[in-house]
Amino acid sequence: MFETIGIIIKDYYKWILEGVGYTMLVALIGTLVGLGIGILIGVFRTMPTPKNKFLKVLKKIADVILSAYVEVFRCTPMMVQAMVIFWGFALLNDGQTLNVTVSALIIVSINTGAYMAEIVRGGIISIDQGQFEAAHAIGMSHSKTMFYVVIPQALRNILPSVSNEFVINIKDTSVLNVIGFAELFFQAKTIVKINYETFATYLLVAAIYFVLTYSITLLLRFIERKMDGKKNYKVLGSQNMDAESYAIEMGGNKND
Amino acid sequence: MIDYPNCEIIRVEHLSKSFGDHQVLKDVDFVVNKGDVTCIIGSSGSGKSTLLRCINLFETPSGGQIFYHGQDVAHKKDPDLYRRNVGMVFQSFNLFNNYNVLSNCTLGLRKVLKMKKAEANERALHYLKIVGMDAYQKAKPKQLSGGQKQRVAIARALSMHPEVILFDEPTSALDPEMVGEVLSVMQDLAKSGLTMIVVTHEMNFAKNVANRVVFMDDGVILEEGTPKQIFENPKEPRTREFLGL
Ligand SMILES: Nc1ncnc2c1ncn2[C@@H]1O[C@H](COP(=O)(O)OP(=O)(O)O)[C@@H](O)[C@H]1O
Ligand SMILES: [Mg+2]
Repeated sequence: MFETIGIIIKDYYKWILEGVGYTMLVALIGTLVGLGIGILIGVFRTMPTPKNKFLKVLKKIADVILSAYVEVFRCTPMMVQAMVIFWGFALLNDGQTLNVTVSALIIVSINTGAYMAEIVRGGIISIDQGQFEAAHAIGMSHSKTMFYVVIPQALRNILPSVSNEFVINIKDTSVLNVIGFAELFFQAKTIVKINYETFATYLLVAAIYFVLTYSITLLLRFIERKMDGKKNYKVLGSQNMDAESYAIEMGGNKND
Repeated sequence: MIDYPNCEIIRVEHLSKSFGDHQVLKDVDFVVNKGDVTCIIGSSGSGKSTLLRCINLFETPSGGQIFYHGQDVAHKKDPDLYRRNVGMVFQSFNLFNNYNVLSNCTLGLRKVLKMKKAEANERALHYLKIVGMDAYQKAKPKQLSGGQKQRVAIARALSMHPEVILFDEPTSALDPEMVGEVLSVMQDLAKSGLTMIVVTHEMNFAKNVANRVVFMDDGVILEEGTPKQIFENPKEPRTREFLGL
């Protein structure tokens, strides 16, 4: 068994590495672009309703379109989405198909975007209302509040879910073999067609998927811990002011 | 600009606020002059927080007006400019969890007032010193005790140089041993001439620090006067009952 696997590695390591490269490329970029889409949609959908009647209607329409996008992509398999988008593009362009790698990036990105939109929205609405109010109380606008206070905290909170999406994407890019994208599973299929070692080849591929996803999981957990920063802090030398000198200072302030 | 008598900062006229068909504030009139330390007392649910939140435009009044230096701000489209001048200290502190103590105080200076970093740091540190929290400038909010958090929240409000600061039960969420440190900072601020509106259940603070006490009951200002008048000789039976006289 191990001998067979050794031979497969020796003979086909280039194909396998290529497959790993494509899988990771699409999973990583798809997750990041998907997160970007999710942030945009999440921020838009948590915006306060505009007072202006016209804007209010516009926002309603956009909300409907965005939730249609989210639900359609969440409620259909990515494999089917890949076929519809890939062949739909070909149909609209007189049989000219889109580059397979580009197609793969687009499909994984918009599929992930649909999940991320909900994850980000959940992250934003889970931030305590007090954070918004404290920011508004010092004169920050809604957009500044979102950018400097809410989104950073929401992103930190949803990081485990984002990591999870990344891991899912590493595995789920395998469905893109249906459009002929040369990711890891597709490479395995090709190898099997030549060497007929079906079990050994797929066992090897399973092991590679496991190593990829598990090491990424550990890496992301490490990053999460790093992001929380140091557990302790340094207390610097303090020089307290007494009330009296403060009163003088405030008195001076009043006149400016 | 017209000169207002007694340097009036905020005037609330016929303010009413309803949530659905529940009327929480009924025809409230209320004036804040420069240097006033006004304590608002009253039982829970009487509308004290709602009054502060209307003044800060967190709630849109259902009726009436709020004047800031004679200008009606109650239905301002863009309250941000006005809010720079009206600080707020919350019962639950609401420090920005993603920033350390110093950055909590400089965020508004940098992003709202567009101050340079060095200048913002200097100003923020100055107020952190006043509340006795400069030594903790690098700490994150979750590493602080409640009393420390509230002192930072006060420094954050002071850093913006507001004309008035609203305090909504600033010590109600604190363990008893931390109430004193926050009240003593507030007392210093009052002495220094800062204009403050303080919703509080700390009757001693109201008695000793305020120059005006407002008693709210069921959405109306039932009685107001000097601490002496309210605490020693309240006219309304409901006030007497509340104070246990
Ligand atoms: N956002 C809200 N929606 C509905 N009712 C509210 C809201 N905020 C406050 N209330 C009601 O208004 C009344 C006064 O509340 P509040 O101003 O918080 O009182 P206080 O601060 O004096 O305890 C209470 O009955 C409360 O339930
Ligand atoms: Mg209250």
